[in-house]
Amino acid sequence: MYAYSSVFKDESKLDINYVPPRLPHRDAQLKLLNQFFRFTVDTPGKMTQRALVVGKVGAGKTVLTQLFGQSISREAERRGVNLHYVHVNCRECKGSLFMVIQRVVLKFHPTYPKRGYSAEELLQALMQILDEQKAYLILTLDELDALVQNEGSDSLYSLTRVQEDRQITAQRLSIIGIVRDTALLNTLDASTKSTLQRNLIQLEEYSQPQLRDILDDRMANAFRENTVPSQSIDLIAELAAMEGGDARYAIELLWRAGKYADTQEAREVQPEHVRKAASSVYPTIRKDTIPTLNLHQKLFLLGIARRFKQSDMAHLSMGEAEDAYAVVCEEYNEEKRGHTQLWKYVQELSIMDIVRAESSGTGQRGKTTLISLPKVSAAELEKELLKTLGT
Amino acid sequence: MNDQMSIELVFSSKGRVKILKILVDIGELNISEIARRARLNYTTTNQHLQVLESSGIVRHKNFGRIRIFRFNEENSRAKRIKDLMNEWDK
Repeated sequence: MYAYSSVFKDESKLDINYVPPRLPHRDAQLKLLNQFFRFTVDTPGKMTQRALVVGKVGAGKTVLTQLFGQSISREAERRGVNLHYVHVNCRECKGSLFMVIQRVVLKFHPTYPKRGYSAEELLQALMQILDEQKAYLILTLDELDALVQNEGSDSLYSLTRVQEDRQITAQRLSIIGIVRDTALLNTLDASTKSTLQRNLIQLEEYSQPQLRDILDDRMANAFRENTVPSQSIDLIAELAAMEGGDARYAIELLWRAGKYADTQEAREVQPEHVRKAASSVYPTIRKDTIPTLNLHQKLFLLGIARRFKQSDMAHLSMGEAEDAYAVVCEEYNEEKRGHTQLWKYVQELSIMDIVRAESSGTGQRGKTTLISLPKVSAAELEKELLKTLGT
Repeated sequence: MNDQMSIELVFSSKGRVKILKILVDIGELNISEIARRARLNYTTTNQHLQVLESSGIVRHKNFGRIRIFRFNEENSRAKRIKDLMNEWDK
């Protein structure tokens, strides 16, 4: 008999929100960001800058900007510059400019009233706060796609141009946008496009050896010594490289494999644990978004997931989805929401990239919204939903 | 400088004292929120705040249409009232 001790030393190092002190194979891009925004500590207030970080899922966009934010904030503090780095995920803000700016304002004024004014007014208030506190702001808009999808290019336009009416005062607001795909730029109007495009930082997907380096780094911090043999790491790197160089997926695999090793009370993380982990992780659905949905969004999604599980159709019409939802509502003893509300949910879920919604167009009688689940298996989604619904 | 308000007038109103306590606790707040927390209506709250402002104890900042009130840190009386209230609730 011996007491089993976990293969982990510090699991938090594998959390998706963890920002490691160094990023293998992203030195050049980090340097570039630093060059673009050097002036914010050298000559604050003289100018502002906009940059765009482009890269696929798991290419390190978020972590790159966050690491940059930490380092520039430190540098600013050292020099006594009142510089703030604020990172906002537009998708979490449901693609609303108002919510994005509100998050920023609340950082400066935690008791700022929550409603009763427009996004434009809020933006003006933000500029006023910055003026009063003589503060400078680097605002990172993560998943900028969501904002543009939801509100078109106008919001972005007003954000990039808010400085221009105020040439006399100090320039305080710089912006970093993060997108997955430069195709987004084509949907913007010409002037917004040109202001963003000037400074483009492209993150190529990680290659297999690069993924290995990242995994080695994380493993050394998260696992006890000699618990992860190199063939397991190799396998993870290979799997993640096949997923399009997705480092987030790689790290999640590593974590899950460790978990499986723990449940079997194994001394090492074997390739078999990795395989098991791989079959249970669906790379593209963001598990962290599901708990943020409200009850009826979850129920609605559950209805859709079950309907898809039972049939092999590629799409559900809005009507079918509503029927499925009605059944779920009965099961949970919830009064069902009306059509308009559900339609809104579909729009929101599609902005969050959980379902895809498209108009049926002509060809069948009438017009309906067709809903599909391109990224997750219905069974997996159902499992995930039941977990958060607490059954 | 300010209209001198006698001390009994400032503290004779339960509403005003409540508002001051809220501002001590929270720091900065808009009128609706002060009203909500003090369980007063908007107009009353507004009037109390006007009185307190004219005696120099609180001040406000405008953000567009929004007014945000807080203690007037530059006023030595306001500071002492704040200290007293902090002391009281310990």
